[in-house]
Amino acid sequence: MKVGLEVHQQLSTGKLFCRCPAALSEETAGGFVRRLRPASGEDRRVDVAAAFQASLGRSYRYESGPSDCLVEMDEEPPHPLDPEALDVALTFALLVGARPIDEIAVMRKIVVDGSNTAGFQRTALVAVDGTLSLGGRDYSIQTVCLEEDAARKVRETAGEVVYRLDRLGIPLVEVATGPDITSGEEARRVAEEIGALLRATRRVRRGIGTVREDLNVSIEGGHRIEIKGVQELGMIREYVEREEGRQRVLLAVRDELRRRNARVGPAEGADVSPLFAEITSGPLATGSRKGGAVRALSLPGFGGLFGSPPGSDERLGRELADQVRAVGLKGLLHSDELPGYGVAPAHVEELRRRLGLGAQDGFVLVADSSTERLGVALRRIADRATAAIEGIPGETRDPLPDGRSRYSRPLPGRHRMYPETDVPPIPISAEHLDRLRARLPERPSELLERLQRDHRLGAEVVRQLVYGGFADRFEALTARGHAAALVARLLTQDLPAAAAAAGPEFDPPDEVLEAVLGAAGSGRFSKEGIPEVLTALARGASSVDDAIARTGFEGLSADQLKALIERVVRAQAAMVRSRGPEAFSPLMGDLMREVRGRRDGKEVAEELRRAIDRLLAEPAG
Amino acid sequence: MGATGGEVVWNALRALPMGQRIELVDGAGRRWSGSVIPPHELSGERILTLKLESGYNVGVRIDAGTRFEPVGSPPPERTPASPPPTHGRPPSGSDWIALLTTGGTIASRVDYETGGVRPVRGEREILDFYPQLERSGPVRIVPVFDRMSEDLVPDDWLTLAEKTVEAFAAGARGVVVAHGTDTLGFTAAGLSFLLDGLPGAVALVGAQRSPDRPSSDGPTNLAAAVAVARDRRIGEVVVVMHAGVSDLRFAVHRGTWVRKMHSSRRDAFESRNGPLLGHVEGDEVHLTGPIRPPSVGPPRVDGPIDPRAGLLWSYPGLTAERAASFAEGLRGIVLAGTGLGHVGGHLVPWIRSATERGVVVTMTTQCLAGSADPYVYSTGRALLRAGVLYLGDLLPETAYAKLLWALGHESTPEGVRRRLLVDRAGEFSLRHVAEAGP
Repeated sequence: MKVGLEVHQQLSTGKLFCRCPAALSEETAGGFVRRLRPASGEDRRVDVAAAFQASLGRSYRYESGPSDCLVEMDEEPPHPLDPEALDVALTFALLVGARPIDEIAVMRKIVVDGSNTAGFQRTALVAVDGTLSLGGRDYSIQTVCLEEDAARKVRETAGEVVYRLDRLGIPLVEVATGPDITSGEEARRVAEEIGALLRATRRVRRGIGTVREDLNVSIEGGHRIEIKGVQELGMIREYVEREEGRQRVLLAVRDELRRRNARVGPAEGADVSPLFAEITSGPLATGSRKGGAVRALSLPGFGGLFGSPPGSDERLGRELADQVRAVGLKGLLHSDELPGYGVAPAHVEELRRRLGLGAQDGFVLVADSSTERLGVALRRIADRATAAIEGIPGETRDPLPDGRSRYSRPLPGRHRMYPETDVPPIPISAEHLDRLRARLPERPSELLERLQRDHRLGAEVVRQLVYGGFADRFEALTARGHAAALVARLLTQDLPAAAAAAGPEFDPPDEVLEAVLGAAGSGRFSKEGIPEVLTALARGASSVDDAIARTGFEGLSADQLKALIERVVRAQAAMVRSRGPEAFSPLMGDLMREVRGRRDGKEVAEELRRAIDRLLAEPAG
Repeated sequence: MGATGGEVVWNALRALPMGQRIELVDGAGRRWSGSVIPPHELSGERILTLKLESGYNVGVRIDAGTRFEPVGSPPPERTPASPPPTHGRPPSGSDWIALLTTGGTIASRVDYETGGVRPVRGEREILDFYPQLERSGPVRIVPVFDRMSEDLVPDDWLTLAEKTVEAFAAGARGVVVAHGTDTLGFTAAGLSFLLDGLPGAVALVGAQRSPDRPSSDGPTNLAAAVAVARDRRIGEVVVVMHAGVSDLRFAVHRGTWVRKMHSSRRDAFESRNGPLLGHVEGDEVHLTGPIRPPSVGPPRVDGPIDPRAGLLWSYPGLTAERAASFAEGLRGIVLAGTGLGHVGGHLVPWIRSATERGVVVTMTTQCLAGSADPYVYSTGRALLRAGVLYLGDLLPETAYAKLLWALGHESTPEGVRRRLLVDRAGEFSLRHVAEAGP
């Protein structure tokens, strides 16, 4: 198996071709509508992927807000390329030993799904031929590119796709490896290391969606598949392994199809609407409505091959169904799952008879209220079934939350780029590179060593800090005097736990964490209570004070604690006298339930012991 | 001095045919593999532009240490651009629209091999590029010029007027003029004065975004202009461009009221001192303003024009000497004065001597909206006494076009002045109303 990775990391410098902030926003000030034409090249060969998108024939609505300007609206030419963003890309290139281009040329890469208002994405090749050394192996970094992120889709209805312009123009550094990776686990580690190197520049955006990976997977005898837009590092391994599994299943199906000399019936299919005219519910009901139809496609030799083989979840049937979903139908029915779904055994018999199908043959049924759309759907099923006999078609797939992926669109063809003449070429001088070399940031390996050494933390904790992206926050907070172990625990455990409780958008700025640590340090509540205070913040507390109030941790001074302990001990005097020092445990349990988060456990324990000793020292009576 | 090593390599590279694939090793020993393509106009010296297999372009510094080798045979000769098309097909029927093209690029194709953007020229090629244009009837392309609009001169308006009349005489239902946006407003005003007896609409149209981009406003603007040209209620010169930033609505502007008011926005064109004549939505033309109906004809060119006039913007620091040297040899001047139509008092003597010599000096406002009025302030009154002719609410550019036309028709200053004050194409507005608002 060969895997290649493309990592796209958003930068925090400001947008690439205008001076808007690189920030997402929920505010919108109004919208506008555009239609994008497919761009065609010299030889009239419209790019395969572009023609596909254009055939969907949608109009696009764009929402404006405080993070975009006339440039994002395609109403003003691009401003000069942001030099700070360029330096981040060049710095990364130098860190991996890639060679920067002498004069950078910004290109237009045609994109017609509406996610770029101009109909193209501006992208530039910055450096080539670097190397990432990891775990004793070398991985090639083929290219380092700098490009603008696309607008983000906020809604999609039957007639219209709605994008928000806030994300459009945010700089992305794109790092592409060669197909040197051989396993899902390796892919995760390489992605993690590239992420850590990018973070070392201290100019990357943080939070969900700020880094996306594309995985290119192919197995022997298969075809390169792109799984585009993976957001969770932890899921990379799963996506790769599942894709490997999917390709193996499909190759086995191919082998059997070939053995049987399987073929695909005529792509128009047969109109079988009258057979299902009485159906009013179920997947075929739309076909019996006015203007609709039900059609059957013969697939001789495909019988029994639509479903999953034992031990796998992957199946050809789903690949065929995903093709029709891509044009707006809900799905299809294949012969292996019939009778069922409103299709009676008599229907199946009749269909087989009409289509002239034998025991080893299969068929597919599709219904829709638009015969035009139905025709498109059938052609796609026919194409995909034909491809199944050949092997694995190359395609771009979307990652799904459960670790699977789903067909999205064809792999893009080649002829899609031409120069962005509105932006002059950018020469990179030797002096410029020398300046950057003189202030290269610390590599992750160096950072790991230094943090361990300076803060006397364990290797695992430090690894989590660096690879989790917490290193600069850790350093900022410890620089203000907070204890290293406490800060490390807050960042690597308490904060993720609070986010898990309330949602991944919970990402409080350093000032808030500083306030939490400060409040704990000054005794307003005890450090054991930090997780609860963070959770209260995650759940919507308006300030640290409010969070502390919500947890009820406030308001127990050292004297109040002593008085409380005294009261408790005296109230349980009989038990204390009878059990002696053993009374500590149950009383400690009671007390901690009462005061946890308000006073330090150690303090409570010491004071309780003293109180118990005092009581025991008194004469009885 | 003999050629340096670097020069020798550079010259050898430049001699290669465009598209030739090469393998190159630069002075630092780094390898490149790609096709030689033309450089960006602003590319640095001795930078070779290569297109890589991935499609990305890179600029490689060439010096004495560079070595290269061509790979494979040179690319086939590019088929020469289609020969300049002849003057449209002979028209048939009476339902056709004439599309006059003046250049810039109305349609273009991208050659991804070299990155070049090639203008599309032949009539069939252009119509293939815009398939929706002929949805309601035939369109014939009439190529007139091949120039950027900033390179057009007033005599070119005459040529366009002649071609327009020819098209109507040959049976066109309406005429569309595809024009660069920079001086589109000037041409619209010029044609408004030069054309008489129009039996149909003359719709000028342009594009703010180049046609090679998917987002180009050219196609939708053109389609709207054709719809306007087909409309039987219209008998005047109009401009059709985006009404807002969405691709849904297009504004129909009177040719004498319209001006380009933004350097890049799709909805850059705005009407001043008069309402929009209407708008286009979908394929429907909605007329909401005082549209001039078609004439019984016959259509004719009301020339000639005399180009000996100038447009002078007034500003603090404009001296009488500068103004006088500007005015040398001119029969008429349009002043774009400040506010209600004022210039510095120090210019009055120069103006008086010019009008006494027979130069027609006229006044408009550089505010581009509202009327010039000589009566409100003493400056205006002094200018009036010095012989300045106030032209009310005319845009400076419209007044300039009208002056050229008036100068072409009259040999005396009195004659010119009389002609300037008569409403010729609906350019003067009798009422200015404010839009409802806070």
